[in-house]
Amino acid sequence: MTETTLNIEGLKTYFFTEAGIVKAVDGISFNLKKGESLGLVGESGSGKTVTALSVLRIVPKPGRIIDGKVEFNGDDLFKKTEKEMRRIRGSEIAIIFQDPSSSLNPVYNVETQLRDVIIAHQNIPKKEARKKLIELLETVELPDAETRMREYPHQFSGGMKQRVAIARALALEPTLLFADEPTTNLDVTIQAQVLDLLNDLKKRFGMSLVMITHDMGIIAKMTTRVVVLYAGRVCEIAKTYDLFERPRHPYTEALLAAVPRLDRRKTLRVIPGNIPNLIEPPTGCRFHPRCNYATQTCKEDIPVLEEIEPEHFVACHEWRNISLKGERSH
Amino acid sequence: MIPVFLGISIISFFVMYAAGDPLNIIRIGRPTITQETIDALRRYYGLDKPIPIQYLTWLTNLLQLNFGKSLYGGRPVNFLIGSWLWETAKLQLISILLAFAISIPIGINSAKKQYSKQDVAVTSISLFGVSMPTFWLGLILIIIFSFQLGWLPSAGAHGAPYLWFNDPILDELAHLIMPVTVLVYVMLAQNIRLIRANMLEILRSDYILAARASGLSERKVIYKYALRNAIGPVITYLGISLGMIIAGAPMTEYVFNWPGLGRRYVDAAMRLDFPVVMGITMIITVMTLIANLIIDIAYVYIDPRIRLR
Amino acid sequence: MASNKKEEKPKEKPKRRSAGQWAVAWRRFQRNKAGVFGLIIVMAVFFVGIFGSFFAPYPARPDTGAYAPFYEKPSQVRKPPSWLDPEQPNKWKYLFGTTPIGTDVFSDVIHGTKYTIYVGLVVTIITMALSIVVGAIAGFYGRWVDNLLMRTAEVFLVFPSLLFILVFVRIFTLTVGEPFWTIPIVNVQIPAGLTIVILILALFNWASNARMIRGEFLRVRELEFIEAERALGASNIRIIFRHILPNLLSSVIVVSTLTIAYAILLEAAVSFLGFGDVNTITWGQILQENFSEMRTVWWAEIFPGIAILLTVFGFNLLGDGLSDALNPRLRE
Repeated sequence: MTETTLNIEGLKTYFFTEAGIVKAVDGISFNLKKGESLGLVGESGSGKTVTALSVLRIVPKPGRIIDGKVEFNGDDLFKKTEKEMRRIRGSEIAIIFQDPSSSLNPVYNVETQLRDVIIAHQNIPKKEARKKLIELLETVELPDAETRMREYPHQFSGGMKQRVAIARALALEPTLLFADEPTTNLDVTIQAQVLDLLNDLKKRFGMSLVMITHDMGIIAKMTTRVVVLYAGRVCEIAKTYDLFERPRHPYTEALLAAVPRLDRRKTLRVIPGNIPNLIEPPTGCRFHPRCNYATQTCKEDIPVLEEIEPEHFVACHEWRNISLKGERSH
Repeated sequence: MIPVFLGISIISFFVMYAAGDPLNIIRIGRPTITQETIDALRRYYGLDKPIPIQYLTWLTNLLQLNFGKSLYGGRPVNFLIGSWLWETAKLQLISILLAFAISIPIGINSAKKQYSKQDVAVTSISLFGVSMPTFWLGLILIIIFSFQLGWLPSAGAHGAPYLWFNDPILDELAHLIMPVTVLVYVMLAQNIRLIRANMLEILRSDYILAARASGLSERKVIYKYALRNAIGPVITYLGISLGMIIAGAPMTEYVFNWPGLGRRYVDAAMRLDFPVVMGITMIITVMTLIANLIIDIAYVYIDPRIRLR
Repeated sequence: MASNKKEEKPKEKPKRRSAGQWAVAWRRFQRNKAGVFGLIIVMAVFFVGIFGSFFAPYPARPDTGAYAPFYEKPSQVRKPPSWLDPEQPNKWKYLFGTTPIGTDVFSDVIHGTKYTIYVGLVVTIITMALSIVVGAIAGFYGRWVDNLLMRTAEVFLVFPSLLFILVFVRIFTLTVGEPFWTIPIVNVQIPAGLTIVILILALFNWASNARMIRGEFLRVRELEFIEAERALGASNIRIIFRHILPNLLSSVIVVSTLTIAYAILLEAAVSFLGFGDVNTITWGQILQENFSEMRTVWWAEIFPGIAILLTVFGFNLLGDGLSDALNPRLRE
């Protein structure tokens, strides 16, 4: 029985804004096993990023974690002091952000930023840190590491910047890595490179990876298990293969169908309706306004995650009554 | 820079002729003056030569630091400016130092704890400070501390009629407190607003989030990562303030009857003592241009994105 | 693709809310308490300025010869505010006290309000007009036109403006004879001295706003929809007026509000130093008149100052509130 690296139960993170309370994460539960590549998929606003930030407890104001439990290797993270969390951040749990242009500080060079991460956790002399950094940058396949580390972020291309960001995240060999849409802002040609690099590093460092994305293609390539989020709640959790073959939640089916494919002649199917307003979200199942199969129950009662097959969870009232099309059957 | 300097010098010079013959203007200010005196004055000040020649003479003199003679009393302007300069500089330097030293920590703190009671208090007071006519604060202080309470002298820079507290140093301090308070308050208010606004925006950026996610201490996040990005406008303001050291605060000096450049300028402007007016103006212009240059250089140092062009 | 079996509407909304850009901004503004407070102050100032003459306890001073005492007996000079005065039975008589020449400070302040508004509005209108024209031309035509205009602006910016303002005002004030000018067609009388101050304030104020507007202009010009319009064949003029300028509107509104505040402060300073129009009793002018007697007649210095402070504060609050409402930066 493999260990559970990360266990999230009933996480609720709300943002208290002037316009109202934004319920970004409203009851999310899932877990991550050691060495696993877990996908966290959903539209913008589904709560994927906020979940990651909540685990690290760096949710920016006016956000606050209201409820829930997060266990990392058995430790309850919400019971830790800020000082203890700081020790964990960067060294045991790390995160890569979407836009490397904005996630690197423009006024300091690469060496300084990376070194700051290292010395925040370890007390090693400058020379040693330097050596470590050069090694690190070579690991992420940054050419001319030694000379280029004295340069500033704006002097690098998008793909290279993201490598620097990856280097920063992996500097202390964390066991858990959140990758928040790391390739969305990059050219398509570079995307594959960066994803391959991530896979390599994951194997090399023996990390567990949470791959946050809205791109089903990346899910297919990078993950073994997937969590599907919608409007701050979990819709479906399954092994990647099972999810693609036999999705059990209408939203998952819609997501799969919305991916453009060259080998199909059908027109692109768009999910009708709009992203829900998270201040006044729909009652009951949050997907019901856009769902083909919604019933009155769906409007009133919040569906609960049920394990309908081994390792396959669905939160839908109607899963028994509907037959959904997976990847192959379109 | 040079074209700007020349541009201003031309405009300054032609201020004199803006509404006609300057001697006529002086006549309006001093109705009792006789025609002979006017003619004599005209020859004495070289005002009978053609205008472009006057300008060139003036400019060459200017570059040799000869600002001509005051129209009221005839003393050389550079001598006058020299004696006034120190008083103003004293006042300004102390104020700038205090203002910037206090405002930076306060501004940062305010941004850190946005919407807290402390922040609301600070922002309201700053907004108040920026809305206040500077001289009015001076008036209030004088009324309260000089007239009603008699604790502090109401005017001047040095003991009048006697040394306050019977000690030359304490006397200087006593005279300095109120004008410095006024100047500091206004600069403080402006600065805090700048820093706070900037810090707030920067604290929302991704790289700050990433820094926190890497486990950096809060102190490092704010003072190393955020501050350097936020400090830009503050440096600009510092530069401007330094450039304005001589322009001083004519308002504050007037209210406190401070014997500095600002006050004397107001007098000269009132009397249309052109040599003095133009002399002071040109010095201020030069200082401002130099200050701008220094600011530009400072920016290159702070923000590496500007360096490689 | 088969459409939904159920109705396509999202959950019920309580009422239809207009989603127009200005409606959204107005709602956001209403939530900003400080901004609303500023708006109230500004409206109060306008009210007093327009209708003040009707409810001021004492009449305004005559048009010229400001130093002619004309109120009651000489015994009424230098009276402290009545609510502080033990000798005065009527606590409402002189709310802000009287001056050495016998005028009621409270009435003077009320009558002066219209000048405050006059100064604020006219300076801002002229400044903004100049700034927009210069900024737009510089932003639109670029290259040497831009360079020339911005260099000129730079010259004006480097000036220590207060100093120049004083000198210019003095010169022009001395050479102008009559206290009033008449605008030809509408036959309205405006105070000459004050108008000179206004014109000069505007002259030295347009530069910084012009730079800002040029910046905004450039920013909007680079937006893609402008390119689209051009591709559709729209003429330059049309692009400027129908597309670029309206996008500038929010910045213009905010900056105008703040310019009004600045103009009022500046006029007060100019008048206080003695360079203002002696015939128009603006708040700064009141401060100037009584400065020498401040020791005994302190009320004449404090209360007009409070009036200035409150008014400028109100405009600043309003400006900040508008800025937040129109340009939300917070990613909430």
